[in-house]
Amino acid sequence: MALRELSSLEKFLGLKKPHKYSTQGVKKVPLLQSNNGPALVGLATIASHLAKEAKKPELLGTTPEQRAVVQQWLEFRVTRIDECPREEIRTVLKDLNQYLEDKVYLAGNSLSIADPLLYYAIHHIVVDLAVQEKERYMNLTRWFDHIQHYPGVRHHLAPVVVLRNRVYTSCHH
Amino acid sequence: MALTLTINSSSPPLGALLAAEHVKTSVKVSVKEGKVTKLHVSDTVGFSDVNSMTRYLARVAPGLGLYGSNMLEQTEVDHWLEFSACHLCGALGSSLGDLNNALALRTFLVGHTVTLADFCVWGALKANGDWQAVENKAKDFPHVSRWFSFLASQAPFSSVGDRWATEVASVKANAPKE
Repeated sequence: MALRELSSLEKFLGLKKPHKYSTQGVKKVPLLQSNNGPALVGLATIASHLAKEAKKPELLGTTPEQRAVVQQWLEFRVTRIDECPREEIRTVLKDLNQYLEDKVYLAGNSLSIADPLLYYAIHHIVVDLAVQEKERYMNLTRWFDHIQHYPGVRHHLAPVVVLRNRVYTSCHH
Repeated sequence: MALTLTINSSSPPLGALLAAEHVKTSVKVSVKEGKVTKLHVSDTVGFSDVNSMTRYLARVAPGLGLYGSNMLEQTEVDHWLEFSACHLCGALGSSLGDLNNALALRTFLVGHTVTLADFCVWGALKANGDWQAVENKAKDFPHVSRWFSFLASQAPFSSVGDRWATEVASVKANAPKE
């Protein structure tokens, strides 16, 4: 899955020539053999490298704080989402939902590389959510809908139908 | 075709200024200060209402999609233009609650990009004294606050806000209470 994701990310970044990736170990960690130097291992590492290669360093954050936040969410994706047992995913969604209440993007007011990567990671979860659940995690849903419509992000994934008006307003206020 | 936007700087039409700022790459619009707010289209035609001005500017630059991308979105834009003119001038009452609900699942008011709806509602709120009083209490209207500050950080909004809205605030502060 990580490999399709990296090829979508390459297209989003506007990289013309696709890279060849391989995988390592039982967990299928992606590996990129670069022409000038040692191999790069791991999704977050390769993704950051691609952003620099595409000359879009602003996607890694523009201020020191923003750069730290972007790295934080890349790590969150790899450790919390990818490693998350199925029964605990609701807790993660709840935390994300709360975090996104006052934000349009993960790192504040501009898109970073963390947004498409987190979107790719939770797509299979959001696809299965019931209408009611999507509304329970409405900040997450809003962010998800915005990212899936962001030009050039979606690629290999199916669009998820998201209601844009609230249906269950009276239930939780 | 050269357009001239004359504005009364003590109550600048923020929505129209935002629209003018957005379309300036495809249409030439010059902004001047004067006594009355008016968009001069030709010798005989001019518009003086904010909504008419923004509508015209969006229509002369159709490629930018500021009026939505289909009929449904156009109707939604019209709804928000009317909302900004009728419910966001003067006391806010329940309008902020309505706006908050509408923005819960949306990044922009209409569609997935910025439209006239965002310009006019943002401009009307920015100039509204009631909103300035609640703006910093983000807990009351979290979705409006997020949307408002997100737009304020984007390029044309920040330049228009810095240039014109500070003047509105100082005029309002000096004006006698009604």
